[in-house]
Amino acid sequence: MALPKQTRLGTLFNFVGPFLGLLLVIGLFSLSAEVRRYFLAGGNFKIILTQTVIVAIGALGMTMIIVSGGIDLSVGSVVALTSVVGATLLTKDYSPFSAALLMIFSGGLIGLINGVLISAARMTPFIVTLGMMGIARGSAKWLSKSQTVNPPENPLNNIMATSEPMNFLPLPNGVWIAIGMALLLAIILRKTVFGRYIFAMGGNEMAARYSGVRVSLYKIFVYAFAGIFFGIAGLMQLSRLTQGDPSGANGLELDIIAAVVIGGASLSGGSGSILGSMLGALIMAVLRNGSSQMGWPTYIQEIIIGAVIILAVGLDKWRQRRAGA
Amino acid sequence: MRPIFRIFFILTTIISSSSFVCAAEKIYTIAVIPKGTTHEFWKSINAGAVKAQRDLGEKGIKVEIIWKGPLREDDRDQQIQVVENFMTRRVSGIVLAPLDSQALVKPVNNAIQAKVPVVIMDSGLKTDKYVSFVATDNFKGGQLAGEQMGKILNGKGNVILLRYAVGSNSTEDREAGFLDALKKFPGLKIISQDQHAGATRELAYAASQNLLQRYGREVDGIFVPCEPPTIAMTKALRDIGRAGGKVKVIGFDAGSQEVADLKNGDVQALIVQNPVKMGYLGVETLVKHLRGEKVEKRIDTGVFVVTKENMDSPEIKELLNPPLDKYLK
Repeated sequence: MALPKQTRLGTLFNFVGPFLGLLLVIGLFSLSAEVRRYFLAGGNFKIILTQTVIVAIGALGMTMIIVSGGIDLSVGSVVALTSVVGATLLTKDYSPFSAALLMIFSGGLIGLINGVLISAARMTPFIVTLGMMGIARGSAKWLSKSQTVNPPENPLNNIMATSEPMNFLPLPNGVWIAIGMALLLAIILRKTVFGRYIFAMGGNEMAARYSGVRVSLYKIFVYAFAGIFFGIAGLMQLSRLTQGDPSGANGLELDIIAAVVIGGASLSGGSGSILGSMLGALIMAVLRNGSSQMGWPTYIQEIIIGAVIILAVGLDKWRQRRAGA
Repeated sequence: MRPIFRIFFILTTIISSSSFVCAAEKIYTIAVIPKGTTHEFWKSINAGAVKAQRDLGEKGIKVEIIWKGPLREDDRDQQIQVVENFMTRRVSGIVLAPLDSQALVKPVNNAIQAKVPVVIMDSGLKTDKYVSFVATDNFKGGQLAGEQMGKILNGKGNVILLRYAVGSNSTEDREAGFLDALKKFPGLKIISQDQHAGATRELAYAASQNLLQRYGREVDGIFVPCEPPTIAMTKALRDIGRAGGKVKVIGFDAGSQEVADLKNGDVQALIVQNPVKMGYLGVETLVKHLRGEKVEKRIDTGVFVVTKENMDSPEIKELLNPPLDKYLK
């Protein structure tokens, strides 16, 4: 156990690190005077925030799972499946409200199944969610007959719709929803017993178990609760594409995991923060946006994002060594 | 803190080495957004865009082309992001091949609202606010295939149409065009037209085998509306020893395997689009619009029937082997 003083310093670094990263990336793209005019504009930041919403909401659930010492690889497939579920319900004349609820519910249900398999059957999260990745993707294609499902025009489409492209405000509702949920989850993780148990489980499962935490039960909670977030991410995907796409969100889980890791969480569990993950998601969106603005080809963008992930994890390791010394 | 400075240094180096150089004259910055970047078809479109840039440059109109596909190929959300990012980048205009006729409607309308005009190429979009739609007339392509089929079979025989995939706009138009042209040949009997090949070569191969299992002995001519099933069907015909002209095959597009099959006589005709022209006209039309000239709302980039006989003529040769190296480094 680290001394309180060092812990506080570590927390400070955890807090400041991702912020510095974001400012750095923004600063770098502002270096070129030609690009700065467009890049540092309200309308552009509206676009960046809108593009972050799906990854950010996914990262909320993923942060919980990673802090608890687990991983979920099925997110992209679950987002695709729930978006197909929602689109299908809408074409069958369900009200937008009930369609949205059922989407979120189906996300939670898949999370619950993951949690039960991981916790009760004592299987590795990596394997269970890898299997679920295939099952959810296949189900999405089955349900949609491998085609995109185009529901009639409906109010759900407006959640992610941007208007007035030249101004920062109004932001689409999806952005506000993501911010609200992030605040809520940050409070839950910091202030509630459930939240502290998640950190305890991820830090040292045995110790948590011996201290009387019902680890297996809380694990199920974690995956089910995270599933609800993935369902909401599916809702955002449906709203953004205005259709259910069974082959969409492919590889989204990797973006989400990268956001959480860039945000300072450790894949070995026990550490991570909501603020960090949100900033991590933003850093990736800014990198993408900035690369487009600079006119860089797609492959440079992929290389840069890959390098940033490795740098962020390297930084994390270095931090851990400092804390351990 | 030191690693942070190191990152800063690395990224600064990357960025400063590739920043734009400011220029005093008016330059049209045009973003060209394909569906993906690796297929030969899109490379040809890229070459066409560069060709237009050079030709316009010779006339003293400076154009800069930014070629950028979605980060993950065939990912709609990623393509939406690319459109949005170019909108806020305030490019002069966008030439877009939409991955989906519906999902891209909102971002395109948004860009147009932000006064970034958009030319749509290759595949349609369910809106009419764009400047122009530059694409192959697929229905006409299908008709050409039908007429060619009538010619090869002398107006008599059993014909199969192996469809591509449900919901694919361009190929459905080709299939409809083919069936339309066949009406002119009462001697041609369609023995199967309700099977779909599926999107990949493997699926198409299985579908072709199943179809030939049933109709292999009686069929005289087969039309397949795009590249993967054309290759798959030819292979399936070779397997059962009915290739080499015993069954006449008319395919679509000009992938290298298809051209090889045409040369060795397993395929009798290919209906070929002109992607270089599509990229060229996409950029040229947009620049004309930006300069205040009036442009057509629908521009046909042409389809051609390629047979063993005409495949060595210079203009067809250029279609089959577009001079990509000349335009792409």
